[in-house]
Amino acid sequence: MAFPVRLALRHILASKTRNGLTVLAITIAVFLLCFLLAVVKGIDAGVRSASATRLVTQSAVSLFVSLPMSYQPKIDAVDGVVLSSEFRWFGGYYQDPSNFFPQFAVNQNRFLEMYEKDIEIIEGPDGITGPGARAAVQKALNSDRRAAIIGVGLKDEEKYSFKVGDTVPIVPAIYQRADGGSWEFIIVGIFRPLKERIPDKVMYFRSDYLNTSIESGEAIGEIAAGVYYINIDSGDIGDVVASTIDDEFLNGPQRTQTITEAAFASFFVSAIGNLPLFLGTIGGAVLFSIFFSVVNAMLIAGRQRLKESGILQALGFTPLTSTFLLIFEGLMVALIGGALGLSLAVGTEGLVQDLFGANIRNYKIDSNLMLLALATSSALGITAGLSAGIPFLGYRPTEALRSMG
Amino acid sequence: MSNKAYIQLDGVTKKYSRGGEELVVLDALDLKVPEGDYVALMGPSGSGKTTILNLVGGLDIPDSGKVSVADTEVANMPKSQLPAWRARHVGFVFQSFNLLPVLTAHENVMLPLQLTPLSKSERKIQADFALEIVGLSDRASHRPSQLSGGQEQRVAIARAIATDPDVIIADEPTGDLDRNSADEILQILDRLNSEMGKTILMVTHDPAAAASARRLLKLDKGTLVSDQTREGA
Ligand SMILES: Nc1ncnc2c1ncn2[C@@H]1O[C@H](COP(=O)(O)OP(=O)(O)O)[C@@H](O)[C@H]1O
Ligand SMILES: [Mg+2]
Repeated sequence: MAFPVRLALRHILASKTRNGLTVLAITIAVFLLCFLLAVVKGIDAGVRSASATRLVTQSAVSLFVSLPMSYQPKIDAVDGVVLSSEFRWFGGYYQDPSNFFPQFAVNQNRFLEMYEKDIEIIEGPDGITGPGARAAVQKALNSDRRAAIIGVGLKDEEKYSFKVGDTVPIVPAIYQRADGGSWEFIIVGIFRPLKERIPDKVMYFRSDYLNTSIESGEAIGEIAAGVYYINIDSGDIGDVVASTIDDEFLNGPQRTQTITEAAFASFFVSAIGNLPLFLGTIGGAVLFSIFFSVVNAMLIAGRQRLKESGILQALGFTPLTSTFLLIFEGLMVALIGGALGLSLAVGTEGLVQDLFGANIRNYKIDSNLMLLALATSSALGITAGLSAGIPFLGYRPTEALRSMG
Repeated sequence: MSNKAYIQLDGVTKKYSRGGEELVVLDALDLKVPEGDYVALMGPSGSGKTTILNLVGGLDIPDSGKVSVADTEVANMPKSQLPAWRARHVGFVFQSFNLLPVLTAHENVMLPLQLTPLSKSERKIQADFALEIVGLSDRASHRPSQLSGGQEQRVAIARAIATDPDVIIADEPTGDLDRNSADEILQILDRLNSEMGKTILMVTHDPAAAASARRLLKLDKGTLVSDQTREGA
């Protein structure tokens, strides 16, 4: 092994506790960095995949307040609106509250038209797949009020394993049934999302199932539309259409707030405002403080090394040798910590994906993130090594030799 | 060949300023050491002994005057070339040994050899040989903390001679040692001078060490006050 490498490794091993703690700090920092950036990227992917020609009209009061059904014709009549579709949050769960995935009540025909390019129907009744599946699923949706379609995630995940033809009971959280039981839905189709913002563990079912059950007294609740998704002619007129719609309902019964799908998508995952900025700030603060603790650890190492610098110079090495040694040590420690943090992030990827579920579907430690993590730790190590090693250059060899360090 | 002595200091002045006050450590000092000489330098603490060694070894530069070693003007050499020159020509031995504690005896001896163009196996042979000269081949893989003071100093001497330099500069090499260990060190230095022809410049407070040199210089307040050559040397 080359001499500088050996000497640097010996120094690292000679201060196991200090370097171990530094490695741990960097491990945590790099893991957090990967985690937060992956979250931000996941959210961003959802937002960026949102359509520019789609608006969302929601209650100006709160996302949890439903808009009336009567709004739909008025929205459809606005210039530039091509199509609207209601989306109503159902909020039930399958068997156990921990088995949560979103369910939305929609008008099945408007929904399918609106999402024509957003989802791909991959399986329908009687095992039909391919291009014919969409029409078959639409037909099946229209022929049974309890019919529903699901994202492919609910088929793939073992604890659900839903198949076409299954009758799936959903325990209601909002719309209680008079008999106290579950709602039953019949799966007639499975789709794969083509856009990042659409979850793959989600169920869409017919809103008239909900509404007629409420009307007949079988279920308790309010007949309403939830929010409206709106397809418009072109992205350029989004502002005009949005304000026209909001003006229309200025005098109630519910005031509306119409925003782009992108804004809605980012709002939906970030109820506390600008989540990416928030997470980025946390990540930055963590990195910043870890950075100083690493620099501090290296500075301590450096102070103990002034004498060695003098000895090495007496032997004929240049003062830069000690500087390089410290940079190398900083780099080694930082890269070990970085590699551990990265391994932790990669190792827990699946776990975190499960935790986030449908909220952030694109949590992924991709190769860009890995490179960034390693580059960040390298930069951290080199900077720490430099700040510890540069001061050596300011000492005369005799001063270094006379020092106690 | 020039008619200069092997080590030659001409009118060397070295000052330090401390708290605004100027401290003249060496005052127009002249010194000639022929090749192969073995010089002991004595004097009160603070008289400038270490400063002379540092100037000869190119670790320090004088404020005025000339320092030359083997026809090389050390003080005029660009600062960037001094380390390489030092590696080839000068071996340092210190009072407190100054081994790197994280390296084994053998690795410590290998250190200066890293700066030579020798191959890895040649370096190893020279390091082995240097340890053999000081009688510590069997301690090659020991760390300094596992060695006695006398053994540490022998490793330090092996390190100083590993690259086969012409000059050995020793600053109180027996100062931290008991009598027996000190005598061992003096025997080794004597052999390096008499058998291998090394020019040795040694600072010491130890009368026994001074007696083993061929020549004894006494320094006081930056000037040489006495220069004796030992009878029969
Ligand atoms: N880098 C320095 N800065 C200031 N004073 C120094 C420095 N190096 C040496 N001195 C002073 O120079 C004088 C001579 O030092 P030195 O040559 O080490 O003496 P000694 O004869 O004891 O070896 C001492 O007073 C010492 O304090
Ligand atoms: Mg001294």
